[in-house]
Amino acid sequence: MKKLFFLLTIIILATLGLNWPNFLNFFYCKPDLLLIFMVSLVFYTDFKTALLFGILAGLAKDVFLPWTLAMNTVCFGIWSYLIYLISRQISTEEDYVCWAIVLAVALLNNFIIGLQSVASGNIMPPGIFLRNLIMVSVYTTALAPLIFKLTKKIAA
Amino acid sequence: MFKLPRKTLINFILVASAVLLVSIFLSSFKNPAQKIFKPHLSFVGLVKHEVSGIIFYHRNMIKAERLQNDVDWLRWRLFGLRELSQENARLKDLFNFKQKSSLRLVAARVIGRTLDSWSSSVIIDKGRYNGIKSGMVVICPRGLVGSIVESADNTSKVLLINDPNQGIFSIVQRSRQAGLVNGTLGTNLIMRYLPDDAQIMVGDIIITSELSQIYPKGLLLGRVVNIGREFSGLNRYALVKPAVDLANLEEVLVIIP
Repeated sequence: MKKLFFLLTIIILATLGLNWPNFLNFFYCKPDLLLIFMVSLVFYTDFKTALLFGILAGLAKDVFLPWTLAMNTVCFGIWSYLIYLISRQISTEEDYVCWAIVLAVALLNNFIIGLQSVASGNIMPPGIFLRNLIMVSVYTTALAPLIFKLTKKIAA
Repeated sequence: MFKLPRKTLINFILVASAVLLVSIFLSSFKNPAQKIFKPHLSFVGLVKHEVSGIIFYHRNMIKAERLQNDVDWLRWRLFGLRELSQENARLKDLFNFKQKSSLRLVAARVIGRTLDSWSSSVIIDKGRYNGIKSGMVVICPRGLVGSIVESADNTSKVLLINDPNQGIFSIVQRSRQAGLVNGTLGTNLIMRYLPDDAQIMVGDIIITSELSQIYPKGLLLGRVVNIGREFSGLNRYALVKPAVDLANLEEVLVIIP
């Protein structure tokens, strides 16, 4: 039953992301809701469930992007595994530690996607690269508490 | 810190292989996934449209009044132009001009936008069943919107002109100066490879060139807002403000060749 709810949450978050209202965009940036969900799964569920639904969240994101590479599917799987390893080494009971992890993962994920875009020959002014890297990561982190609460409730 | 037991390593390799396989066959997941998402995406889009209509009621009222004034003025202008148009048609007949074949258009509604900030695309509610194929051009009455990059059975993905993956061979309408227009993910497009003595100035209108393989000639792209020199110092570039409000697209037209 829980797994069905996780799947439903992925569909709802993907739909929300696809229909994110313009007036909620911050400097033309929208938050990465699926990334927050992937991180929160590692904290509130067992590793296998987190990895499976993390990869599914990445796949849901890639399906609606205009690229042929499944960068998010691969990255989300790797992030799930790395967060699991880190969460065994450090205490994640404090909220700010979880938010710091979301910020770090969002920065890394955006950096890799941006770098891949630039490496494939796309022209992107440095200002826009930095805007996407920093603003998206900060906006994603700002919304993390909401998604964390949702995941906690489903996982409980 | 990251000491891995043999079993975990094998599991990790298995999962990694599965993920890689999924990523290789990503395109086969796209059609069924988009089919599942289409009904509620259309519904959520409709709700979003109605809710924003209520939230921005006052702003819309002011806008409607201003547009009504514009319509009245344009109607008056149109009356004068109708005469010229009729004269033009008569002259065309006289010179036996070849009539351009009219474009076949399919109207579509935008039901979703890109999930991240590293690309600029929209999802429309028409797909292969409506004759839409990859590579087709998407416009709206104000100008060029983009091109189809993927078409599923009932939905299609449109890569907008402000996506960095877009490269459109274009010309300046006034001087016929050619250049390549790229998206930057920002509010403006960038027209590159302009020589030092390029005939271009702020306010010039940029249209698609006939040399473009995908786009028909003469589609409006936007207006030049700034001109600068590229970092290498060899060429100049122009910043082009798109004619279409790409952030607020609701309906588009797909050109069926």
